[in-house]
Amino acid sequence: MSSKSRWATDDDPETEAILAQRKREKEEQRRAKAEKQRQLDEQQAQASASDSQPQDPDTTAPPKKRRRLSNDHNEDQPIPTANNEPNILSFPAQEWGPCRNIANFERLNHIEEGSYGYVSRAKDINTGEVVALKKLKMDNSPDGFPVTGLREIQTLLEARHQNIVYLREVVMGTKMDEVYLVMDFLEHDLKTLLDDMSEPFLPSEIKTILLQVLSGLDFLHDQWIMHRDLKTSNLLLNNRGEVKIADFGMARYYGDPPPKLTQLVVTLWYRSPELLLGAEKYSTEIDMWSIGCIFGELLTKEPLLQGKNEVDQVSKIFALTGPPTQQTWPEFRSLPNAKSLRLPPTSSAPTGTPPLLSRAKFPFLTNAGLHLLSSLLALNPSTRLSTKECLAHRYFREDPRPKPKEMFPTFPSKAGMEKRRRRETPEAPKRGQEAPKLDFASVFGGQSSGDTGEQGAGFTLRLG
Amino acid sequence: MASSAASGLKYLSNALATPEQLSNSSSSIDGVSPDLEASIRFAGAQLTQTAGILLRLSQDIIAQAIVTFTRFWIGSEGGSLRIYSVKDVSAAALYMTAKLSFQPTSPRSVLNVYTFLLSKEASPLWFVNPQGSPDKPMPEAYHLTEGGYQAQRQVLLRIESIILRTLGFNTHVALPHTIALTYLQTLGVPSSAVARRVFEHLNSALLSPQLLYLTHQPNALAVASIYLASREEGVKLVDVEWWEVFDVDREDLGFLVVGMRSMEGFAQAEVEKWKGRGVPMTVDELEGEIERRRMMEEGE
Repeated sequence: MSSKSRWATDDDPETEAILAQRKREKEEQRRAKAEKQRQLDEQQAQASASDSQPQDPDTTAPPKKRRRLSNDHNEDQPIPTANNEPNILSFPAQEWGPCRNIANFERLNHIEEGSYGYVSRAKDINTGEVVALKKLKMDNSPDGFPVTGLREIQTLLEARHQNIVYLREVVMGTKMDEVYLVMDFLEHDLKTLLDDMSEPFLPSEIKTILLQVLSGLDFLHDQWIMHRDLKTSNLLLNNRGEVKIADFGMARYYGDPPPKLTQLVVTLWYRSPELLLGAEKYSTEIDMWSIGCIFGELLTKEPLLQGKNEVDQVSKIFALTGPPTQQTWPEFRSLPNAKSLRLPPTSSAPTGTPPLLSRAKFPFLTNAGLHLLSSLLALNPSTRLSTKECLAHRYFREDPRPKPKEMFPTFPSKAGMEKRRRRETPEAPKRGQEAPKLDFASVFGGQSSGDTGEQGAGFTLRLG
Repeated sequence: MASSAASGLKYLSNALATPEQLSNSSSSIDGVSPDLEASIRFAGAQLTQTAGILLRLSQDIIAQAIVTFTRFWIGSEGGSLRIYSVKDVSAAALYMTAKLSFQPTSPRSVLNVYTFLLSKEASPLWFVNPQGSPDKPMPEAYHLTEGGYQAQRQVLLRIESIILRTLGFNTHVALPHTIALTYLQTLGVPSSAVARRVFEHLNSALLSPQLLYLTHQPNALAVASIYLASREEGVKLVDVEWWEVFDVDREDLGFLVVGMRSMEGFAQAEVEKWKGRGVPMTVDELEGEIERRRMMEEGE
């Protein structure tokens, strides 16, 4: 194979100019031809439209081709064997076409910088619609287009659901490495909102939020997609009370049996114990753990488990749930990082499957709510609830009922008006890092969980 | 119900080519004749298939790569054979598809394999090396130098971005193979010979000049291959219009069966047509072929 390449960088400015010139000419030629072709097509279209009505090729409608013809055919002469037309399913019409250019958007203001790109608010110049533009980080990797970005686009394009942020299109800048995701703009993210609220959400509002997140996640899991970075800052809320899951930079397809995957996923505070203990095979349960953390955060307005590092995170988890026992999590000893773990005597371990969390931390939660939270924060992934089990949980059917979306309060939008302040929350792990071999010997060392734990709820009496 | 059912079907269905995309191509606008374009696309798809096998990728990845490769060339906004070398698009489509799968592969492996397959002396491919594989292995004929590797890698990654831009990042490809197996079980066909023949038809259809994977949904391809395979193997299926159960009408079924049956003849005609010569795999080779055809025409 000759290594002479059309794209090899040529330092000679003269050849470069000639090449550019040639390219321009070719481009013009092609455009002229395309134009000629288009005119020809139009003539043909007009001609055919005049002699046959049903074959009118309108360019805006989705492609139907043969299927359309056969349907028309069927209307004229129904299939003799059946009394009525066969009930044939039509698939969603989808097409592809080249990316548009970023010049179609006018940038309004910066929203935030996430781990995988910069997000800004922008206006579509043609339609006037306000959208969120996320610039993908192209880390100049030796492997070409970042696989995380590709997965984010692929999963978002596939995950069309009312509780998942809508990816409208992907646009490109003038350079090949400028790639932007054009998404629906939502006014808030739950993290910023919780930070600015003086009181937590009402129980009825928490249920509305959780139900929507669970319903979006249920759809994802049904499509064999794991999100792998669920946290309050990735949950968006608009002024119509709709919650949408965003930021699919960590998302990927999974399989059954689960493939071997990196453990370096999910922002530390929302990371499940099996990931922290180095499980190489994991599945959708890791998202359910994050949901548990989010539930706890909605209740108290503070992130539930704010570990300083992996070891501290594990110790905070065990302080909340109690240490694992042979009964609650038999497989736990075989996890790579559990070897160095020394557990305290089992007498203090709580019982029940899953063991209920301490009531003291969630004084206003009903029994059903505490059961749901405890089952989401079950150490053993196989006893953790699935999305379907959560959606059917009695917590959502008891009073106070979930607040209708239309009744949801509205809040002044930070994203819409001004630059966000930088958060102090940790970020999702960077791709390509080595999973650390952790020494958990100190998990039950001197350190107590007192530094984040007992925040007095004060005297509040609120009813949803 | 319709909308929720439709959204759940996304992973079983594909984006299809529009009539505009099927009737125009960037290459034909650039003056590449339709038969030459079809020959090059056919050879390029075979190149992708062979490279995938040598890279030990599973057939679902290879099949998805071939569909992506095929999508790239169609429509007036697709890629032109006079701008992009077919070998580069084949390599980049395979590399990108593998990257998104459970079996990623490295640029170096991909480029090593392509250097071998494109070697005019050592390649086993009829459209690259008409003499056929040499008797003795000749590694010196397909050695990729470090400098060559660096240059080729730049091309690979650049073409990857161009494919993504051209397809609007639509990398999703649903395949008919597993659907066909499910249908076979539903129809109660116990014969593994039929199943094998079904897969043979589905894999050959990837190379179809009628672009069957771009015009029909996977369920229709599955049904047509079952219809054809059971006939060829002499296995009798239920005596009703069973294809309607799988949402395929008779007209589509007929079209697909004819398309699949014509593959063998098409492939033989291609080999005959290019006997003793190579199919152009690069822009330069294509320019040479177009020039040759022009001279022949003028000579007559």
